[in-house]
Amino acid sequence: MADDNKWKPQGEEDEEEEELDETAYKTAKDAVLFVIEVSESMLTPPPPMDAKKQERDSPTSAALKCAYALMQQRIISNPNDMMGVLLYGTQQTKFQDGEQTRGGLAYPHSYLLTDLDIPSADDVKALRSLVEDEEESKKLLVPSAERVSMANVLFCANQIFTTRAPNFNSRRLFLVTDDDDPHANDKALKSSAAVRAKDLYDLGVIIELFPISRPDHEFDRSKFYDDIIYNARPLDPESPAPISGATAPSSTSDGFSLLHSLLSSINSKAVARRALFSSVPFEIGPGFRISVKGYIIFKRQEPKRSCYIWLEGEKPQIATGVTAQYAEDTARSVEKVEIKKAYKFGGEQITFTPEEVSSLRNFGDPGIRVIGFKPLSMLPFWANYKPSTFIYPSEDDYVGSTRVFAALHQKLLNDDKMALAWFIARKNASPVIAAIFPGAEKLDDNGNQIMPAGMWLCPLPFADDIRQNPETTLIRAPEPLIDRMRDVVQQLQLPKAVYDPKKYPNPALQWHYRILQALALEEDIPEKAEDKTIPKYKQIDKRAGPLTIDWGHELHRQYEEWRAENEGSAVPAKRGAKDELAVRGAKKVKVGEGDGGVDDGEMKKAIVEGSLGKMTIPQLKSWLQAKGMPVGGKKAELVERIEEHFEHK
Amino acid sequence: MADKEATVYIIDMGRSMGEKRYGREQSDLEWAMTYVWEKITSTVATDRKTAQLGVIGLRTDRTENELDKEESFEHICVLQEITQVLLPDLKRLRSKVKVSNTNKGDAISAIVIAIQMITKHCKKLKWKRKIVLVTDGRGTLDADPEGISEISKKIKADEMELVVVGVDFDDLDYGYKEEDKSTEKEINEATLRSLVEDCDGVFGTMQQAIEELGTPRLKMTRPVPSYKGQLTLGDPEHYDSALCIDVERYPKVMIRRPLSASQYVQRTDLSNDHTSTQSSETLLPDGDGRESGIPGVDPNGLTSVKNARTYQIIDEDAPGGKRDVSRDDLAKGYEYGRTAVHISESDLNVTKLETQAGLEIIGFVPWSTYERYISMSVSCVVIAQKTNTKAIMALSSLIHALFELESYAVARLVTKTDKEPVIVLLAPSIEVDYECLIDVQLPFTEDIRSYRFPPLDRVMTVSGKEIKEHRNLPNDALSAAMSAYVDRMDLSTFGKDDEGDEAEYMPITDTYSPVLHRIDQAVRWRAVHPNEPIPPVYEILTKYSKPPDQLVAKAKRQLEKLVAAADVKKVPPKTQSRKRNRDDIKPLSGLDVGALLGSKPKKPKITPENPIPEFRQALDVADSIEGIRDAAQQLSAIIETHIKDSFGDIAYPRAVEELKVLRDEMIDLEEPAIYNDFIKELKQKLLSEKLGGDRGEMWWEIRKGKLGLIEKRVSEQSNVGEEEAKLFLSSK
Repeated sequence: MADDNKWKPQGEEDEEEEELDETAYKTAKDAVLFVIEVSESMLTPPPPMDAKKQERDSPTSAALKCAYALMQQRIISNPNDMMGVLLYGTQQTKFQDGEQTRGGLAYPHSYLLTDLDIPSADDVKALRSLVEDEEESKKLLVPSAERVSMANVLFCANQIFTTRAPNFNSRRLFLVTDDDDPHANDKALKSSAAVRAKDLYDLGVIIELFPISRPDHEFDRSKFYDDIIYNARPLDPESPAPISGATAPSSTSDGFSLLHSLLSSINSKAVARRALFSSVPFEIGPGFRISVKGYIIFKRQEPKRSCYIWLEGEKPQIATGVTAQYAEDTARSVEKVEIKKAYKFGGEQITFTPEEVSSLRNFGDPGIRVIGFKPLSMLPFWANYKPSTFIYPSEDDYVGSTRVFAALHQKLLNDDKMALAWFIARKNASPVIAAIFPGAEKLDDNGNQIMPAGMWLCPLPFADDIRQNPETTLIRAPEPLIDRMRDVVQQLQLPKAVYDPKKYPNPALQWHYRILQALALEEDIPEKAEDKTIPKYKQIDKRAGPLTIDWGHELHRQYEEWRAENEGSAVPAKRGAKDELAVRGAKKVKVGEGDGGVDDGEMKKAIVEGSLGKMTIPQLKSWLQAKGMPVGGKKAELVERIEEHFEHK
Repeated sequence: MADKEATVYIIDMGRSMGEKRYGREQSDLEWAMTYVWEKITSTVATDRKTAQLGVIGLRTDRTENELDKEESFEHICVLQEITQVLLPDLKRLRSKVKVSNTNKGDAISAIVIAIQMITKHCKKLKWKRKIVLVTDGRGTLDADPEGISEISKKIKADEMELVVVGVDFDDLDYGYKEEDKSTEKEINEATLRSLVEDCDGVFGTMQQAIEELGTPRLKMTRPVPSYKGQLTLGDPEHYDSALCIDVERYPKVMIRRPLSASQYVQRTDLSNDHTSTQSSETLLPDGDGRESGIPGVDPNGLTSVKNARTYQIIDEDAPGGKRDVSRDDLAKGYEYGRTAVHISESDLNVTKLETQAGLEIIGFVPWSTYERYISMSVSCVVIAQKTNTKAIMALSSLIHALFELESYAVARLVTKTDKEPVIVLLAPSIEVDYECLIDVQLPFTEDIRSYRFPPLDRVMTVSGKEIKEHRNLPNDALSAAMSAYVDRMDLSTFGKDDEGDEAEYMPITDTYSPVLHRIDQAVRWRAVHPNEPIPPVYEILTKYSKPPDQLVAKAKRQLEKLVAAADVKKVPPKTQSRKRNRDDIKPLSGLDVGALLGSKPKKPKITPENPIPEFRQALDVADSIEGIRDAAQQLSAIIETHIKDSFGDIAYPRAVEELKVLRDEMIDLEEPAIYNDFIKELKQKLLSEKLGGDRGEMWWEIRKGKLGLIEKRVSEQSNVGEEEAKLFLSSK
């Protein structure tokens, strides 16, 4: 959005500079036009596969359902993207409003159900009624007697893209059909379809074919569609090379419903639309460089923020905000070039020339420079502050980048190592230290890729960013108590022993859009949200209930014992696992003695043996602390202090 | 809130401080002041009212202090009473710190005055009290042992910290000894040292102090819990078996942002007399003689920039198709697709999911299946409620159980009632003296984009065959060379610990945020030295910007082997996409679509309905400059028509896209002049309203799309320089 950044409070310009490219990344917009054939065979549901009650959609209705699902999904995940639905082969004809005169005649038997645009509530409604209301669909979904020229359909799509989404970064045409040879007997029509397909290619539109095989007929791409579909995608050099040329035909034969199969094919066509940073030099050793691109795979999806709506007109309208800058003293408007940056200091402003400002932030050219390698175990779990960026080789600047990257990937993966790097993402971006570690390719049960092979660049915090641990008391749980807890943990492993994000939709986000949808479509507002993040209480009770109760008893026992030792008089505590832990006001206990620490005897022995230096600093410190002696200084000083202590005795 | 601080700096300004010694380019005073200014400005930079300081001049020409009636307190001058020092104070101080014409004045007396100042200022309240004495030790010192022991008693009793930093003082720990030291200085150093030692202060030499200035100081922040509540397993409302532990959660990593700049512009009313433009009410009376604070105005002649926001709606009847509406006519709402969903102010929370605060365990996963790259956020520590010993023991059992089983807990966290839930991963952390859980947020379904990339260990051909040998796959030699190089460049034992033993190189605790400290350094420097260039960046900030030389030298042979095996070639900039190469554009079948149309005219017609494909195809068949020119001309005419016929801005995006294609193709065909001539003409037509009235918005679109002149940097054949291109786009 053009004015997304304008609500930022003053003084956040610096962050804005930093995030700039990420917002550009977000606005790499996508326009998808579903082009769905309507014909006798497309309207015939497949024969029932087995006795099980299976949803039996005709191919056309499965495709429409698919478009409906995608439309709802994209309103949430890609609120700026466009979508449209064009049916062809219908008896009725309809093109863009207002262009009836020309278009209506030009594209017979093409029915533009939803014009290409950011979907509106009405679009969702119209599509839904077609999907859910049989009467509606019977009215519209009537095949025409005449065969439709594919050239005409493709040119119709061309016009839709040209007028509705002229400068969208990504434009895709999803073609759903079961007819692998629409112009078997007409060479001229076949040729002109190929020409129109080339037009689309030159316009920058990608045609994705979703072929449907019928039980009695395997879809054969080579008959017609290989002349229509282009493989490469030269107009957008930022996108990765396609992983596979064509989608396998969808059919019901593999046990899935047609809808399911179509949906998964369409989802698999999600390509990285734009790199976060492109062809950045990746310096593996001094002077030895390859090029890589970075992609955002993980990013927190937030609901679109509230906007202002103008209600005075016929239809509510979203008002767009325009920000103008003015000088506080005279309220005159200010041009961007006049603006100076100043830092507040001691109640006033400290100024720098623009050259100085940029030189302060300049720590060299963009790039990833490897400093060296460490075992992955040296990457602390807490050293994280934002999602990692996926990096993948690019041959754009250095031929051979891919094989070198692959060799490094392999080595790091085999040895559980990571690289540490100095990383500047863009010109004048703040340098960060990043850990770069490998990720193996992950496939699902059907062999489809769910996570690509590549490396992950994880920006690390600096010493400045680490907060001190809050002070607290250390009371180590006694072994028997840990044993009880271990039993509990072992019982409650997540399915397949893995956290699968696919199973946890964001409940707040879903609810937000669910309510908006209900309001927009004038539906009833649902009462309760579906929230898959709520733990399965019943299962937890069933599988670990007795074990947690055991643990509760053990805790009670161990705690009383500890208290008797540490606090003298024990007060009987309440029973029942659930609220007995809210005991407050217990006295602070001494740390260091007993558990983990070293006692005087051991310390003395160590001095006699001269092995004091072999003790760890924390050991020495905790002993000193327990004695109320200063714990500061280097190890040698600690040792000296302890030795002195015993000498004076 | 951090503790209140009061620091008094005693600066020796005696005549002897004016000398330049040991080859230094600065006088001793200037040199010492590098240290003092650094310290003072870092206090000023905190912008805290409770971080206060005072300054005393020692061996000054004048005498000005509380005890100035007594002879022994002569030549001591209070330059700054204890207060929060602001920039004007700093400027005034700067003018006062000058080498004097005397060597008289007693450092011990100055300390006494400093003690008095602090005592008077802080009374019995809780302050961190500190005295910093900077001297060359060449003055006379009243070394009366009884007096000194009185002083040290007082310092200790009031819990003051005494720091003495001496110019060219001996410091054997640091390794500095001044040769040919005068006996007097030697005695003075000894006196000061014993005083400092008596009161557990810090005694050091200036050299070390200045050297350590480059090491950034870490800011301590008092931990503020981001969640206080229970960690539960199961539902305590409905099940007796539910397990609850009172916990608190604190940030572990929080990014410290560099000082942020604000926007200012030069005031335009500066020609007028300063005070006459301001009404007298805005002048704040200020007893200390500070410059008065007028909001938004600054003695530099700057005034701050404010934002004004207006709202527009689409109105087909208004000129330009848009009109402003009053903020009062607007209601709040959300977008659902492109539909505006109005929600009345009172219902605004209806889209908010109702939640209850809590940290609830969903289940457990082993360490081995967790992919580090799905960590989404900053990390936090979760500890048991601080005063609750039973909870501490309970949480400890979970921490240890997780550790022993090498497992993490997955939990749903709601930090406050009605906040959005997040899923966090809880990892056990056990140190000798500290136990906690560390959490980091995990992604939801919507947070992942499933993009696909070709695998790195095999190549799939179009026909679906899998091959293992390919130019994109490493051969055995490359793999081996890479392995050897990576092993050589190992950092895990390259560093040194305090004892000089092998240790991890570049642990996180040794890395400092370069931009943060660089800006901090520059701002503080500029505050004291308004007219001097900014000093170079501290070495420690760039230390980790490249591999250590020693390691590089060690791995030299391995790197050479790797480079040879890799055989990487840089793509010359010329061929990088800049050659129009469309011969191999064919559908999957390989069909020559161009040939389908039979014989083609040399100058095909481009229609306004399908201009982009037809333009590209026309260029494909053009075999002469005339052909190119003709195609470009046709497209140019279409662009102008589109703009001219556009209702409001409706056709602008199309025109922009067509311009972009024209521009890119002319760059590729190395014919920048064709585009440049056209865009110049177009600009002129747009701004003189020759294309259907006010088309200012269209010109703005061209500027936004950076569709101006093609400059020489982009296309060799262009005769347009960077400046000209910039001017072309920015001028109206």
